[in-house]
Amino acid sequence: MEGLFTFAPAIVLFPLVAFAITLLVGRYLPLGGAIPGIVATGGSLALSLVMAAAVAGGETTNELVYTWFETPEITFHFGLLIDPLSAAMLVVVSLIAFLVHVFSLSYMNAEGETGLPRYYAGLGLFTFSMLAFVVADNLLMSFVFFELVGLCSFLLIGFWYRTKSAPSAAKKAFLVTRFGDFFFLIGVVAIAASYGTLSFAGDASFVTAAESAIDSETFFGFDADTWVTITGLLVLGGVIGKSAQFPLHTWLPDAMEGPTPVSALIHAATMVAAGVYLVARMFGYYALSPTALAVIAFVGGFTALFAATMGCVKDDVKQVLAYSTISQYGYMMLAMGVGGYVAGVFHLLNHAVFKALLFLGAGAVIIAMHHEQDMWKMGGLKEQMPVTYYSFLAGSLALAGIIPFSGFWSKDEVLYDALIVGLSEPLILAAYAMALLAVFFTGFYTIRMVRLTFHGEPRSEAAESPHAIGLPAKIPLAVLGVLALVGGAMNLKPLEELAGLEVAFLERWLDGQGVGSVDGLTYHAYSETVHYGHEYIGGPEGTVILSAALSLGLALAGAGLAWTLYSGPEPTRHTERLGSLRDLAVANYYQDEYQVWLARGLTLPLARASDRFDQTAIDGVVDGVGSVSRFGGERLRRLQTGQVTDYAALVILGVLALLVVLGINGGWFL
Amino acid sequence: MIEPVQLPDAAALGPALVLGLTALVVFVFDSARPHEPDRGLLAGTTAAGSLLALGVGVWYMIAGVGVPEPDGAGVISLFDGQLVVDQLALFFMLVTAIVTALVAIASYDYMDGHAHQGEYYSLVLLAATGMATMAAANSLVTVFLALELASLPSYALVAILKDNRGSVEAGLKYFLLGALSSAIFVYGISLVYGATGVLQLDLVAEAITGETGQHVLTGNAHDVAGHDGLLGVGIVLLLVGIAFKTASVPLHFWAPEAYEGAPAPIAAFLSSASKAAGFVIAIRVFTTAFPVEATAGLVGFDWSVAFAVLAVATMTIGNFAAAVQENVKRMLAYSSVGHAGYALIGLAGVGAGANELVLGAALMHLFVYAFMNTGAFLFVALAEYWGVGRTFADYNGLGRRAPIACVALTVFMFSLAGIPPLGGFLSKYLLFWGSLQAGMLFVAGALVVNSALSLYYYSRLVKAVWFEEPVTDHGSLAQPVGLYAALIAAAVMTVVVLPGFGPIADSALDAATAVLTS
Repeated sequence: MEGLFTFAPAIVLFPLVAFAITLLVGRYLPLGGAIPGIVATGGSLALSLVMAAAVAGGETTNELVYTWFETPEITFHFGLLIDPLSAAMLVVVSLIAFLVHVFSLSYMNAEGETGLPRYYAGLGLFTFSMLAFVVADNLLMSFVFFELVGLCSFLLIGFWYRTKSAPSAAKKAFLVTRFGDFFFLIGVVAIAASYGTLSFAGDASFVTAAESAIDSETFFGFDADTWVTITGLLVLGGVIGKSAQFPLHTWLPDAMEGPTPVSALIHAATMVAAGVYLVARMFGYYALSPTALAVIAFVGGFTALFAATMGCVKDDVKQVLAYSTISQYGYMMLAMGVGGYVAGVFHLLNHAVFKALLFLGAGAVIIAMHHEQDMWKMGGLKEQMPVTYYSFLAGSLALAGIIPFSGFWSKDEVLYDALIVGLSEPLILAAYAMALLAVFFTGFYTIRMVRLTFHGEPRSEAAESPHAIGLPAKIPLAVLGVLALVGGAMNLKPLEELAGLEVAFLERWLDGQGVGSVDGLTYHAYSETVHYGHEYIGGPEGTVILSAALSLGLALAGAGLAWTLYSGPEPTRHTERLGSLRDLAVANYYQDEYQVWLARGLTLPLARASDRFDQTAIDGVVDGVGSVSRFGGERLRRLQTGQVTDYAALVILGVLALLVVLGINGGWFL
Repeated sequence: MIEPVQLPDAAALGPALVLGLTALVVFVFDSARPHEPDRGLLAGTTAAGSLLALGVGVWYMIAGVGVPEPDGAGVISLFDGQLVVDQLALFFMLVTAIVTALVAIASYDYMDGHAHQGEYYSLVLLAATGMATMAAANSLVTVFLALELASLPSYALVAILKDNRGSVEAGLKYFLLGALSSAIFVYGISLVYGATGVLQLDLVAEAITGETGQHVLTGNAHDVAGHDGLLGVGIVLLLVGIAFKTASVPLHFWAPEAYEGAPAPIAAFLSSASKAAGFVIAIRVFTTAFPVEATAGLVGFDWSVAFAVLAVATMTIGNFAAAVQENVKRMLAYSSVGHAGYALIGLAGVGAGANELVLGAALMHLFVYAFMNTGAFLFVALAEYWGVGRTFADYNGLGRRAPIACVALTVFMFSLAGIPPLGGFLSKYLLFWGSLQAGMLFVAGALVVNSALSLYYYSRLVKAVWFEEPVTDHGSLAQPVGLYAALIAAAVMTVVVLPGFGPIADSALDAATAVLTS
């Protein structure tokens, strides 16, 4: 590693050190052990910015750090891959981790929680794992840290382990994501076995190997392109679990049982992003398979709409945010699936910022409301918590996709990319239509949430006299609020298309134009591989305007509807007029029920049957072997008489027997 | 850094010389104050000497001794090829030095209150010197001399608790059987010499492959093929002698007796270092002196098949007998017989393909085994130090009374059984994989079945210390510094072998490749 990249491992290691310190001596430290974490994530943030500057200066690195072990066929190693994508992600992850650490001082310390060292140790371990996942240069390393972030999520959701719901939610999150990771693991093994490498970049990457194998080789009886699809979809299993896509999204709303800063960091901004990030990281591979891309796009579009409808009827502020998270990740998947790599990453970065903001804002509200999360018991907080209100509003408008907030620009780009592909691909068009419709619902539930929480008259005692929040809560909110407002400036693609200004900065960044890039990991390299054609209505400019007008119009319509419905000092519960449709959405479309049924009705009997087989057939054989060996052992024991003369005799007899047998064989006596 | 080649050639024996010199230093210390020995000084000197030998060995390894030029310093040959220092020799010198260090540290507490302190440590060091020399021996004469140098102190060490009947009886048995096997071994040497006319291992190989009808050195008429029977009997007798040293079937009888009676650190020493030294001789003699195909053509049997049969018999008998023991030390003794069977697979694989892999795996296994087995015996030493008793039942509930030591014990047991992610798993896995590659399906199958069986009795001990209720006492137990330090060092190494797997496996494979191609 050269130059500034020499320091790159420190980005990852700082939080690990903080984790170790907090775990070992946390209980003797002031502030429940928060300081090592804050210092470490601050250091990681500073170094991440340095890395981003290095990438901006035209450098990248793709280096091996430690060889785990090697065989002639394959080498397993850990390495660093810092290119524009990972550099951007590093900055966002370490920024949010830092802000969440700071915010926790208000949310956890000031509220007199116990077990704080455990909390901060968990955050440290998580930050370490997530950063290591981001810089991973190969799929195995990704998998390792993918699992570690899952473990941290489990530990932190279950932080309040004395309650009944938190441990159960932790278990659910762990099991559901593990179900997806199971496919991921098979995918890793399959990719390793077929290409002999797991690296993301360089000549020896599995992407290059797959590219050259297509049209010439077969794997395990499949054509190479079918095999790419199969393995790609296997890895996608992990992505769907982690990024909470249909049908493995059920764990995320339950995960809100964890402390709210944890929800902000893990279950909104970073860990859930790991799935989409993985797709982006190995986008070259997915680009080879139109089928896998179509699956990604369709799952994404469907999830975007499906989750948005559920978000409209929730009363718990964190639940609304949870469903909106699922929905927004759907948009990113849609973008990836239509080849809109830049749009997907753009939305990923924006969403990380504004969703972390919304969760932290919700956290501030929850502190103020003495841990009440029901929006119907809030109201009127606008005047009493101005900082929270205005930053939360900025986040909400970004989420709803209202110009000029960041979410508008990225969501618009996602939808535009989907539209131009969809015009020639009916399946993609359907995904686009669902995502477009979801824009309306997004606008609706977002503004409903803002209205119920902050406007009108206070509807409970807690809302009348909210608890004051401290400076450590306000600063992160303000920082993120500003970012949610201006984040869209990263990639003003419509302005570039319409006015010819060169303002699509992120596109050039991810394409390595004027900055460092790794061969094969650039936007135009991906675009060349993706097989989609593009069609336009009224030329590219016309389509840009049409798409923007459609999404903005729908967002405004949804937002406006909510604004009017929930106006006034005492808003009414309008969703109840939906009748059975509302019941269906409140019950989450019975997703939990059918999954529980699958576990109880299918898996459990199967497990019982195999247990019975194991108990009788396998154990029977094992017991049999045991009896035989005990019997044999007893016999052998009798040979061991303790008499040295017997031993000597046995030795001599043994030697003679060997000599006779071998001598007759070898013909020595002839 | 000074390259070892710039030192006098004899310095290549550095680890062995350091061990020998330390033995003399211990003598001096002891003779200065014969009646009130300073235990700490003696044990400390011994441990320091072994660690120094270890350091020298590691240094040579890093400096590339044994690695062919130009990358390394090449194999160093001493006294006209009577001794060679190559990667294999260094590898086993390291194993010996490590075990000696662990045993010395543990003995500080164990030997507390016993007489003959000075003799004890110097005998340990002398035996270690013999083992290190065995690693470098390249002629049948030096092999025998080194073997005796290692064996004679061992007999005395087993019997060192002179007022303990068990110890004395075990020492005598060990000595008698050892003398018998030495006689058999030296007779084998004389027959091989008679058939080939030479003693140096590579010359023996030359005589066997040459078929020139001439003596390899003098050029006089000497027809090796005419003495095929003589050579065959000689090889069998050598094999029997080696089987004694490695405690392999059919010469394993002494092991349970000797280990049970001996002080537990000595049992650890014998079952780890002495066994490893026996293996280095087996590997050196058979791979260098008796090339498989030429020898088979001459004497009519393939010795690698003989090793395969011995391997399966040894692992099966060792494990089956271990499964029915009630005495923990005896169980470990039989388990060490079983592990000799696993290591023998390395030699069995030499006749088949993929032989570097199998032999390398066997070396690897001996390396890991040095830690886990020494550690297991040291736990027994600790139990004897506490005086809790000798059977499984006596170990009940120790987990609550001495948790740290019992965690170490658990690591050793699971590693011996070959459970991931511990060191023992990897080496066993490599052995399994290697024997599959070599097409030895039966051996591979026996390895798996025996490992599964061994899990039964190893986990029985783990169950006893953690899950059973203690019979009488519930108080916590003393924590002797030396024993604990050795125990924890061994446990840490057993675990650390996994991340350090790459370099260790590389050096084992290199050593195996070098000895097979030379």
